[in-house]
Amino acid sequence: MTDAAIRIEGLGRRFGDLWAVRGVNLELRQGEVFGLLGPNGAGKTTTVRMLTSLIGPSEGHAWIDGLEVTADADAVRARIGILTETPGLYDRLTATQNLDYFAQLHQLAPSVRAERIEHFMRLFELWDRRHDLAGAFSKGMKQKLAIARALIHEPSVVFLDEPTAALDPEAAFVVREAIASLRGAGRTIVLCTHNLDEAERLCDRIGFMRGELLRVGSPSELRGGNGSNGTGGGHGGGWTLRVRLVDDPGADVLAAVGALAGISEVAALDGRAAGGETGLSCRLTDLRRDAPEVVRAVVGAGGRVLGVEEHGRTLEDVYFDVMGRRPSSDGAVSADIATSDLGGPMAPTGAA
Amino acid sequence: MRRVIVMAVVRREVLEIMRNRLLVLSIVIPPVVLVLTPLLLGGLAGLAASVEPLPPEFIARVIATRPDWAGFSVAELVSAYSLQQFLALFLILPAYVPLSIATFSIVGEKQARSLEAVLAAPIKTSELLGGKTLSAIVPGMATSWLAYAVLVILAGTVIGPRLAGVLLDPSWLAGVFLLGPAVGLVSCVAGIIVSSRVNDPRVAQQIGGLIIIPLASIAVIQALGGFLFGAPQYVLAAIVTTIVGIAGLRVAARLFGRETILTRWR
Repeated sequence: MTDAAIRIEGLGRRFGDLWAVRGVNLELRQGEVFGLLGPNGAGKTTTVRMLTSLIGPSEGHAWIDGLEVTADADAVRARIGILTETPGLYDRLTATQNLDYFAQLHQLAPSVRAERIEHFMRLFELWDRRHDLAGAFSKGMKQKLAIARALIHEPSVVFLDEPTAALDPEAAFVVREAIASLRGAGRTIVLCTHNLDEAERLCDRIGFMRGELLRVGSPSELRGGNGSNGTGGGHGGGWTLRVRLVDDPGADVLAAVGALAGISEVAALDGRAAGGETGLSCRLTDLRRDAPEVVRAVVGAGGRVLGVEEHGRTLEDVYFDVMGRRPSSDGAVSADIATSDLGGPMAPTGAA
Repeated sequence: MRRVIVMAVVRREVLEIMRNRLLVLSIVIPPVVLVLTPLLLGGLAGLAASVEPLPPEFIARVIATRPDWAGFSVAELVSAYSLQQFLALFLILPAYVPLSIATFSIVGEKQARSLEAVLAAPIKTSELLGGKTLSAIVPGMATSWLAYAVLVILAGTVIGPRLAGVLLDPSWLAGVFLLGPAVGLVSCVAGIIVSSRVNDPRVAQQIGGLIIIPLASIAVIQALGGFLFGAPQYVLAAIVTTIVGIAGLRVAARLFGRETILTRWR
């Protein structure tokens, strides 16, 4: 048994004849923020419900802090906090009463309850509204109160299901800030979201899901075409590196770069297409490993570097790649985009 | 079942009830009506009987059922007979109040989608069900018993101690203190079962309100038959109703499983 915060082995859940989720394998380390992304009906909520001991798996096992979610359900519930898809607050209770109720369910002593309620309400800037009914709160405030409720017993693992869904940009920003502060506090967080930008900003790793876990990796790995499906299988893809030089790259510069392992498609920039700039472009598979080597090779071959830009696919590109379909502007879905070339040199794929 | 958790549920339920004006009105108004109406109608019935004499066979049949009323004047006898009819209607209180609270409580949680967060906390579903049942039955019984005490006190003042004594005979005591709680249990269970299937508390109450029909029929049968159920019949009814309530509680407990609530309650 490892010291993983969450360990999942072959987890699946069937409703009647339909498998909502199947074959999920994953391990999350302590303090990791993991994003679960997928379309509606992908099984994200079902997975979270299994991990929070709300529903039992039809097959497989999962452990939270080493406790099996079915056999040790009560102990698991004591260690997890959950923000459900809707805040689910008691509108006729005040903010304080809402938190106090859940603190009582976790059997916290009265003095601890009072202390935690004040701590979290101050953290989420709700303290001045503590005596107001939750029903009078804005959506953003309700969401923050619900997050405070999920944290009131200081859980080691927190599940956040669509925390910024249906919020205006200002409220969503406030909630994201709150999540970022949790990350700073070292909690393990599972974040279910449709918001790719949010996932990229907040998560250490992301898992794309549709009935099963299709690909897992850090945002950088995924955009670079790496990542695994939990069983170690990698995927193609990569980054385009554009090195701007004072002069046109000579053959020796291009050769030096081309000789590097993991580098392909080395070419001089087309001055006209590149707005009169001179330099070279190439494809990398691992930005962190390869980019410094490219720069070193260019300089070693006498190239004078003005600047370096990396261009990878956006997480959205990766998402549609993994899901195998991308909606067109008229609403139709084009399949098998994974086979199309979205990442050619200087292709307009967005900055990394 | 941990008492501290059950009481936490009860406290929250009570706080919510107190802040729901519609629910508070539905708890307060029926007792007022059921206290004032017997006194008013009992007095009017006695007055009417003194103007227009009753058939002697009716009087004989009532006295045969209740020999302790033989010393009553005709007007008192009619008033006492009318008051006795209200025992059955008085049982509507422990039926109606728990039904209202239970339906508002469960449908309210479904509408607010608050149950998932609760069920993800370390609370047993039996503790949640227990807290909800208690917070529905206790106000119902408290209301019912308080209304009964007020009725007895007012009757002594308004219609005199002789007639007020009718309200203290064993049939009333068995009805209010034995059958009442049993009816409250069945009513609460009906509220829970019906609420698990609907999303509007008014619909739940209309369906659950069918429980009032057997209670009202007691009064109808007595009135049509010209006889009165006594304490033994009320005790028997209390036993049968309690058995039905306990059986219903088992069904409600099954409906209150975590998975059922999350995957089947809509």
